[in-house]
Amino acid sequence: MVRSALQTRGRLNRGPRKGVTLIPAASVIAASALAVLPIVAHRGGFPDFGFLMLIAWRLLRADAWPAWWAAPLGFLNDLFTGMPVGLSVTLWTAVMLVMDLVDRRTQWRDYWIEWALASALILAAEAAEWKVAAWMGAPVPFSQVLPAVLISILAFPIFAMLASRLDRWRLGQ
Amino acid sequence: MAAPAGPRPGWSRRAQYSLFFGFLAAVAGLVVGLIMLVLSLVAPASYASVRGAALDATSPITGALAEVSATVSGLVSGAGNYWDAANQNAKLKRERAELRRQLVRAQAVAQENRQLKAALNLREHNRAAVAAGRIVGSSFQSPRRFAVLSVGRNDGVAIGMPVRTADGLVGRVIDAGTIASRVLLVSDRANIVPARILRGGTPVISTGRGDGTVDIRPLEVGRNPFKRGDIIVTSGTGGLYPPLVPIARVIRLDDDGALGLPVADPSQASFALVEHPFEPEALAAAGQQGER
Repeated sequence: MVRSALQTRGRLNRGPRKGVTLIPAASVIAASALAVLPIVAHRGGFPDFGFLMLIAWRLLRADAWPAWWAAPLGFLNDLFTGMPVGLSVTLWTAVMLVMDLVDRRTQWRDYWIEWALASALILAAEAAEWKVAAWMGAPVPFSQVLPAVLISILAFPIFAMLASRLDRWRLGQ
Repeated sequence: MAAPAGPRPGWSRRAQYSLFFGFLAAVAGLVVGLIMLVLSLVAPASYASVRGAALDATSPITGALAEVSATVSGLVSGAGNYWDAANQNAKLKRERAELRRQLVRAQAVAQENRQLKAALNLREHNRAAVAAGRIVGSSFQSPRRFAVLSVGRNDGVAIGMPVRTADGLVGRVIDAGTIASRVLLVSDRANIVPARILRGGTPVISTGRGDGTVDIRPLEVGRNPFKRGDIIVTSGTGGLYPPLVPIARVIRLDDDGALGLPVADPSQASFALVEHPFEPEALAAAGQQGER
């Protein structure tokens, strides 16, 4: 009885979790790894989970991880999803650099601006993937990619929520 | 809410340097990524081992999860089969009687065919399967159409081998790991299959459309040779796919071609067979080209 009263509970003595700096990157890897789910689909319409998690974290915090971590994270995503190796490496690092610029240029940011930014990034990423697929001999019409873009944009808030929950949890707030 | 503080390290020289070197590292990462991407565009074979290893690492998870989902969906569809069972039974009996009559005719034709071939001394190709595996996953996040197959190099699978089910053609192997491989499906835009219409034998070309259907065009421009319900089979031209494997069923005609639905549904097929290429030389060519 007395011992249990001595244990720290509630709002006192809360601090960051162990491995607090690794949790964001680990969550991105976990989201990329969703590509191993046994879904046999006739058409690709699912969002690129790893990419959504990455931009959710980057929009939430500029210091979730050093910018260059995006390259190895992208490499893992390429291997998980079977995209041409180097596509996510390039895209994800470019997103980090672009977001650094955006952070410098914007004074004010709210939920809608973040969603619009995320939509622009998703559209750019899907367009890049579409273009690379065309270079590799699979030129599908762009209209066929648009449903996937829309689904990803609509799925972004889920990942933004996940990232902010994880952020509060890892910081012990 | 104000924008996140972002890369503004204040007066700390150490923080400024680490930020600057982080930026340099990110730019380096971008350049490395571009080089890797160009390499995978011009020489895809250079990543064969890495991609194979990644497949090996992930496919056991995919396979195990596929077992679970197959069991669950089996319970659901199994229960559904009991619904209206009497009518289904009567219909199936009628179909079976019809199929039996067709089978007798087909056997007679096959026998005649054998005799004629023997008379002509035609060489019969060995059509034994290399390996049989399950389709456990697919590229559900991308505009490309790939599937993951649960057999790999250990079972004799090599890049370029055709894959089929009992129903029809699935595609060809493009990445081979030790215990898993990746298949370019017939419905992928990059998969072009020389084919012909089973009724009449008009030569056509089948190209995937990336949305689960295939686009079928006749080789000769002119009158549209298709009818709804036509079965498209491989022609064996090019030597990769064996001839007379069903590819698709025509579901819609357009001005000079037709739209087809692949006969072999990778999401329904329980097993897929990996076969030797029809002409072994095609495998060597596919391996060199590393086409994807």
